[in-house]
Amino acid sequence: MNNYHLKFSMMKRYLVIIMLLLAIDPIGILAQERVTVSGVVTDESNLSIPGATILSGNPLKSISSTNNNGEFRVSVEDNATLVFRFIGFIEKRVTLKRGQTTLTVRMAEDVNEMEAVVVRGYVTRSKELSTGSSYSISGDRVQDVPVANIEQLLQGKVPGLNIQVNTGAPGFRGSTSIRGLSSLSITGQGSSSFLQPTSPLYVIDGVPMDADQASEFGFQQQGPGVSPVSMIPQEDIESIEILKDAQATSLYGSRAAYGVIIITTKRGNSEVPRIRYTQNTFMQRPPKLRETLGGNLERRLKIKQILENALTDEEIRRISSTPFLSDSLNAFFNNSTNWQDVFYRTTYNQTHNLAIDGGDPKFNYKANLNYYSEKGVIRNTGFDRYNLTMRMEYQPNEKFKIVGSVFGGIGKQNKGEGVGLFQTGVANNGMASTLLPGPSFFQSSGGVVAALETDNQNSARDIRTNVEASYMFIPGLRASTNLSYDFNSDTEDTFTPAAANGQFAKVYSFNGRNDRLYNRSAITYAKTFNEDHNLFINTFNEVYIESRQHSMTRQERTPNDQFQGPLGFDAYYSRGGGIHQNFRDFRSASYAAAASYDYKKKYVVDLSYRLDGTSGSGIDNPYSKNPAVGLRWNFHHEKFLEKFDWLDYGAFRLSWGMNINPNSSLVDIYGQYNINGRYNGGQGIGIDFNLIPNPTLKPTTTTQYNFGFDIGLFNGLANLNYDTYYKSVENMIIDRYLSNVSGFNVLKSNDASIVNYGHELALTFNPIRQGDFTWQLSFNGAINNDVLTKLPDEYNGQMIRWDGDQNYLQHTVFRVGTNTLSNFLRINEGVYSTDADVPVDPVTGLPYLTGGRFFEAGDPIFKDLNGDYVLDSRDYQITGNSQPKFVGGIATNVGYKNFRLDVYMSYTAKRTILNNALADRLKLMRDPFGDRAVVPLDDLDMWMAPGDVAKYPYAYDFTRFDNIQPFRADQTLWQEDGSYLKLNSVTLSYMFDKRLARLVGLNSIRVHLSAENLHTFSRYTGPNPENVTSMGRDASGGYPVPRKYNIGLNIEF
Amino acid sequence: MKKKRLITVIFLMTMIGVGLSACSDFLNVVPKDRLTGNNFYKDKNDVEANLVSIYSKFFEKINQTHVIGSIGEYRSGEVMASEQHFRYNQEGRMVEALGRNDLLDAINNGAWRDHYHLWDITNWTGYFQVIQGTNILIEKLEEGIPNLTDAETRRYIAEATFIRCFTYFWMVRLYGDVPYYTNAYQSDPLGREPMVEVINKCIEDMKSRMNDLPWTYTDPSLKGARGSRGSAVALLMHMNMWNAGFDGGNRTQHYTETAELGQALINSQAYRLLPLEQWELVVKGKSDESLFEFFRSINYGDNVNLIAPIANNFLRWPYKNPRYDHQVSLTYYTTEYMTKIFPENDADQRKETIDNNGWFGDVYGGGVYSGDGEFLLAKFAHNIPDAGNENINPDNTFLIFRYSDAILLRAEALAELGRDQEASEMVNMVRNRAKATPYSGPGGDHLKDYIYLERCRELIGEGHRYFDLIRTGRIMNSQWARRTLNRDQYNRRAWTWPIDRSALNNNPKMTLNEYWETIGN
Repeated sequence: MNNYHLKFSMMKRYLVIIMLLLAIDPIGILAQERVTVSGVVTDESNLSIPGATILSGNPLKSISSTNNNGEFRVSVEDNATLVFRFIGFIEKRVTLKRGQTTLTVRMAEDVNEMEAVVVRGYVTRSKELSTGSSYSISGDRVQDVPVANIEQLLQGKVPGLNIQVNTGAPGFRGSTSIRGLSSLSITGQGSSSFLQPTSPLYVIDGVPMDADQASEFGFQQQGPGVSPVSMIPQEDIESIEILKDAQATSLYGSRAAYGVIIITTKRGNSEVPRIRYTQNTFMQRPPKLRETLGGNLERRLKIKQILENALTDEEIRRISSTPFLSDSLNAFFNNSTNWQDVFYRTTYNQTHNLAIDGGDPKFNYKANLNYYSEKGVIRNTGFDRYNLTMRMEYQPNEKFKIVGSVFGGIGKQNKGEGVGLFQTGVANNGMASTLLPGPSFFQSSGGVVAALETDNQNSARDIRTNVEASYMFIPGLRASTNLSYDFNSDTEDTFTPAAANGQFAKVYSFNGRNDRLYNRSAITYAKTFNEDHNLFINTFNEVYIESRQHSMTRQERTPNDQFQGPLGFDAYYSRGGGIHQNFRDFRSASYAAAASYDYKKKYVVDLSYRLDGTSGSGIDNPYSKNPAVGLRWNFHHEKFLEKFDWLDYGAFRLSWGMNINPNSSLVDIYGQYNINGRYNGGQGIGIDFNLIPNPTLKPTTTTQYNFGFDIGLFNGLANLNYDTYYKSVENMIIDRYLSNVSGFNVLKSNDASIVNYGHELALTFNPIRQGDFTWQLSFNGAINNDVLTKLPDEYNGQMIRWDGDQNYLQHTVFRVGTNTLSNFLRINEGVYSTDADVPVDPVTGLPYLTGGRFFEAGDPIFKDLNGDYVLDSRDYQITGNSQPKFVGGIATNVGYKNFRLDVYMSYTAKRTILNNALADRLKLMRDPFGDRAVVPLDDLDMWMAPGDVAKYPYAYDFTRFDNIQPFRADQTLWQEDGSYLKLNSVTLSYMFDKRLARLVGLNSIRVHLSAENLHTFSRYTGPNPENVTSMGRDASGGYPVPRKYNIGLNIEF
Repeated sequence: MKKKRLITVIFLMTMIGVGLSACSDFLNVVPKDRLTGNNFYKDKNDVEANLVSIYSKFFEKINQTHVIGSIGEYRSGEVMASEQHFRYNQEGRMVEALGRNDLLDAINNGAWRDHYHLWDITNWTGYFQVIQGTNILIEKLEEGIPNLTDAETRRYIAEATFIRCFTYFWMVRLYGDVPYYTNAYQSDPLGREPMVEVINKCIEDMKSRMNDLPWTYTDPSLKGARGSRGSAVALLMHMNMWNAGFDGGNRTQHYTETAELGQALINSQAYRLLPLEQWELVVKGKSDESLFEFFRSINYGDNVNLIAPIANNFLRWPYKNPRYDHQVSLTYYTTEYMTKIFPENDADQRKETIDNNGWFGDVYGGGVYSGDGEFLLAKFAHNIPDAGNENINPDNTFLIFRYSDAILLRAEALAELGRDQEASEMVNMVRNRAKATPYSGPGGDHLKDYIYLERCRELIGEGHRYFDLIRTGRIMNSQWARRTLNRDQYNRRAWTWPIDRSALNNNPKMTLNEYWETIGN
């Protein structure tokens, strides 16, 4: 383990050191026979520990601390006992032998969780006293695998945090949710149906940040779409804490309704300036692509398919009039082009990070320079990041402290022709016939040129500054203020060359800015009464002023490919433009207060309350309210248990909290007035008749109960955290469609509710902790059940969201009493083995039919739900659940001397996926005369001849595709179990011996090899059960998640 | 020490207190990019703009297709299409389908369905948008809008009430029973209420607000184009007369009320009948004769649908261009009908050609009795803009209530009450303007029929005729209508329009017009 990536907050460390320093009795003890002892303090992997406190004497007094290299020199009595202390490590006592003057101390890491500190309401608190449910991850767990977005590395590491890396698009985010579903809002159609993201609130070094910012338009986003989370360099992360229940999140207010993720970055901690450099070189490979039949094989298969299945002579004669099939000697049609190779590639990338830090508890600083570059596995896509983080902290005395930091970053993204998450152009052209000649600028389809030659440049520039000052008026009473300003500028420029756009070049330009001024002022008061009663009060207020403006211009036809801008305005070919709808001018003010009381650290009571007022929710009821109560019983402090050595700690936690959030907008409450209609020479302004104002809109109320149990056993051998929760989201906003008598279309009402309940478990074993060989094994898992409990009355308990995409028709149904998001599909019951198996209507004597054609052998058996012997739009049934029920992960960390092996796995189970990729692949067979590729279907259990009992219908009979639609997307044939176990990452690292490092003038050298997304174990027949949309649709146009192999180097000067 | 702590605590509490009180101002952000209900209705301009939007919403419904003619003129069969017109088989014969009361054919016949899209008339969503608009405006006015005097507030409430009641009245005439509500932001589904009750509620509603309106506007740009007390009185007279026809028990009361309202209107002296020499001012709009109209003008850049004005079907070259398309009028009133309403022996300037300040025909013929493609409804042939060879209709207003309409309604009410002498005076007011032979016949039924015929004459082409037939029950008598309804059809409301099926969506309480759902005959 790298000791510089310490697990715990540095701030706390300083506080402890300061307190210890203050504890020094000014009157020294009489020195007797004194010796000078020097030595070094290291951790188990021989990394030095700077700043460790050395104590001696009776009573113990701090006499010195280790320097930057972990070395110390003390003058003590002969054969004195020295005590070494350092936060996060087990205290070590060494009694000097007579005459001993050198000493090497190896300290063991303390895995007792109760010593850890957590952040609550922007204040650090002892974890032992926290009543809410949270989970901490140290920064060193998110190193060694270079990623653009650190969320990816949290996957499977936190119980109850469901992260799905569902896109491989560089710089984009997957989906993240804590404790199940909180939204019913779906955007998009067909394969591109997306659930509205409900991401947790991110708090970076005490400054809140909205991670959904870039994706608020749903997936079809405009602008660069660089997620703010992608702008955080992983090397700079000290620790991450995930707050889950309402007690933990209550002080963060209404924005924390979906949980909170707190990221603390590194602090300066070295008297001598220290320079650390990390470099990663990684290779990204696309996953296994679709198999395709090339060249003559394709032609022969197509001709065979026509000959065997044609119904008329006309169709057979059509072969000769299709030169593409009949003229095999024509050079234009005589190719075997691997189209997928044209678009997909293996890439080599680099990241560099330089961190400089220095200082002491009084004054310290750090600077972190980061460069990350990732070329996408789809050509013409990629993400580059440059950033610089600087921070300084000055604390001249115990009373006063000031911290300043600056973060600057540029994220550059290239989305190619697609919209990032989807690369439909690539997917479509990747299915082109292999017989066509390969691409060149002048000889290929417009789609290919569009995918490869579209010049797309996005950049997100972000600068964030933060100043924090605090002052202690009287002991225990501290006032602090934090001021932060964040400015974002997003631009996107896309130039489409003439060859890709019907012989006319096209220009699109997007320009946006967001800014946020944030201030928080807090007063905290800590007091101990009669030694046993501890009281802590924390009050603060928060103010946000936010604004945003996005605009764009689009010029449809520009002069030529050489002239890309600047362009004037053309009245005829200018499209769109102007300011976007999402203009924002927003303010919020919040007040929060929390009181925590404990008796001998044994019984803890937490009370907190927060009010949030926003400018968006109207003057009448602008406040959202967040009350919470938490109780904790640390039973290891009880007398009757103290005698059990094997019990490190043990606690029960119980919490309740509410988040009452007026999530309506001024438009929802008062209606919107637009300029519309002219009469009698005047201009009218009237209400917008789409949305009826609803002045009685109630706030969405989330109530959450949490019961937790923490226990540590056998001196760190095993730790267990268990939480169970019940979360009820009431008064969710849902659109009700109105009778035309009201004149309006839609009423935003509060008549939907869901309940999530589940269990979370995290287990850590440290079977071998001391010595050359160490081993840690951890496991976590979460079960979440969501149930829809209410819908507006007129739906009678069931609401169907009809899919408007005629190619998919994969409807979603909301039914009260069942899981919230179910599919509404035709039920596939296999394939008709023979014609005789097709049922016949006893009344009419006609066989089961659809689209005017009778079913035959080889056709799919669609359940005739209404029993009328006709398959039509009434034959749909509720089935499946697109949301996963179980998520979790497994990790093992093995160390042997200077070697270390970390393996992380994650799993998701019980989830329904719609394999649209397979449906699309089989649909390639619909037109053998067309210019699409064909794929081998030998691997599928397909009906081939009467009598076959098969899973998949006969694909070669192209004449049946129009009426029967055997491969229609709206059937349960594509519904598959999306459970998987994924080998997220494997890292092998080696720390060179310190002496060796010194020889080349370095402090330490470490190399590591890592691999990410190595393998996914799954029964799913598609390429990747994770690479699907949040609605469980495996879109063939999605961006594949690449496999990554990395070599990295960490050196310290 | 203790004191210091106390001071600190007090200091901090004050800080928090100050913060809280400053908060509501801090949070009050006026959205720059959109108008929401909480930053609209801030002054008189906002109210005016909102009223404009409401009027234009109603106008959209009239402007959607050939509305006035379709609902008010053709359905009893006196209008025929000219065979000489090149669009006879398409646009032309639609009027004949309406004349047979075959609405389903008129709406769906492939020959003209996309040209007229008459299904727009069957969809009442736009009318309910007007009602929501007025309900919201009234609620906001009652809450109080800054910078508005009491009188202004009351006047605007009354004007919005007028639009609301007018819309219900209009819908009742189209659909019979309709849902009724006056609260803002009505979102729950509602069923249909009996039309007599709806009209009675509207009468109450309008009467309570009527006096807050000025008799007419001194600002000439508002005259007739915006609801005034004259408009409200005309509406109340119409609503009373409608209910008099369907609510037999209270007919006397309705007639009395109509007569009184008419008396008040005449006494106000706010309106007058213009001589026929100035008829072009009346059809242009905003004249002293106009009680209420939907005013549109080319000069305002308004986009009037070509097929919307009734004139579009009854004009030909030189009043409509290009000449090669408009040699003849698309439709005409039959000679039989015109002879009935304009007896040949009675002098009447309205029978004259346009050159003699009359309403029918010109130097090229097409007079009142022509009964063929030459027919020219010169009543609407004034105010022709210079549009070159472009097909544009004359720049006329959409007349809804006219002074002579109100006078004749009063005459009708008086005649029903047996006050024949006063009734005759009323009729003769209208006839005198037309320089026609004054009525001097007997009272009783003869007078009532004469008043009815006078309405046919005076209001021809203004969309009143069919509704007069319905409310008086004359539609069941072949003496008055070429295509009659029998008693059973009348009782099953064959005179209504079908209601678009979208009304059933999300509304379990809704029923459609049964007559049209059961094959429509």
